[in-house]
Amino acid sequence: MSRSILKISLLLLLVSMTACVSAPKKDLALERVRDDLNKLTSNPELAGYATVAVGEAERAVRTAEQATGKDYYRGHLVYMADRRIQIAKAMAEREQQGQALREQQNIQSQMLIKSSQLEASQARLEAERARMLVATTNEEAERAREEKELAQQEQAESERAAELASQEAQQARKLAQSRASEADFARREANLASQQINSLTRQLENLQLRQTESGVVVTLGDVLFKSGETNLAEGAQTSLAEVVELLQTEPSKKIRVEGHTDSSGEAATNAELSQKRADAVRQALIDLGIDGDRITSKGMGQDFPIASNADEAGRARNRRVDVILLDN
Amino acid sequence: MKFILIIAALLVLSACATVKIGPDATVLAENAIALATKAGGDEFAPTEMRFAREKLASANTSIEKQKYEVTIYLIEESEINSELAIEKSRAAKARREVNELRKSNEMLEVKLQETFGDDFK
Repeated sequence: MSRSILKISLLLLLVSMTACVSAPKKDLALERVRDDLNKLTSNPELAGYATVAVGEAERAVRTAEQATGKDYYRGHLVYMADRRIQIAKAMAEREQQGQALREQQNIQSQMLIKSSQLEASQARLEAERARMLVATTNEEAERAREEKELAQQEQAESERAAELASQEAQQARKLAQSRASEADFARREANLASQQINSLTRQLENLQLRQTESGVVVTLGDVLFKSGETNLAEGAQTSLAEVVELLQTEPSKKIRVEGHTDSSGEAATNAELSQKRADAVRQALIDLGIDGDRITSKGMGQDFPIASNADEAGRARNRRVDVILLDN
Repeated sequence: MKFILIIAALLVLSACATVKIGPDATVLAENAIALATKAGGDEFAPTEMRFAREKLASANTSIEKQKYEVTIYLIEESEINSELAIEKSRAAKARREVNELRKSNEMLEVKLQETFGDDFK
């Protein structure tokens, strides 16, 4: 009797030992998960994205593959691995879309740059047309003068021929003179119009203009300041005079002056430097006749580059002062 | 002999030792569902949201039945579905943003071509 009880208890012991330790067998769900992971890692479109999450998925699959124990425990690990793969895939897709977003932003700015260049060249064409118009007007005025001279000669002849008509001739001369001054006036007006168009064209050619959401941005390159200095360099006044000319065309709009630096040096120093430079440009604009109430200045530091800080050409573009003619 | 029997029986019972869990064990899974909802999960990942809620409901049932080990798995499975719903929503939003910008760029291109003609290319 006691022997049989011992046997039963040994059997129970064996059962208890195997209860949580069943040898891993061929598991279709696990194979499918491994397959899904391979598909994700070999997808050329998603390669290189979300590498950390892909690594976690890889670890989860390996944990499931090496697991021993109850079926539902291993089932749980397979389930978790499957979800980890889906998470890695979603993250990779999001990063891929981020790349696509940057490309579209790039396309947009290329189009805006191209359109502002075309606008400038159209302004040039208009100026050319105005010049031609002035030339035509001059020719017409010349012709009118010649005709009047002829008329005067004829009148003089008729004066000599008939002294009786002298009064009439005098009147005709007065009339001719008044017509001559009208032609002169028209010529001066045409000249003035052509000068205005010329000066607008010059502004568009010399200044780097960008249209942004907040308004027209004039970028002053790194010629304004010597390295590390906060006082305006010699010759900067000339560049600023052109900016002032442009700013005065919209006297009702507010102006923001932003200082920017490249990323070399300490961020705090750059922030301070950019503030001082923005202040200096603001003061210079006020000295050149812009109303101080219209202008605010701000040092933006190194955080808003427009080009790469990796090479000198890019850094030179990043060292700049933006003068923004605010839309509202 | 009776003694050996009791020991053996105890061994069987403890072979897959259960883990006691507190009454607030499901709080993290509930929080995860709230975060996923806020991220737009119901719009962008409705299946994963349903899984997260079903697993949480099953976890609550198995707590009542005192099946604590299974409860832990169910909570983890609910949480990971919320996490997946968040990532899927983010990916969908990013895709939407790209599509909108692409569309607006196409419209801009058409407009600029109308304005400048063949010069703009």
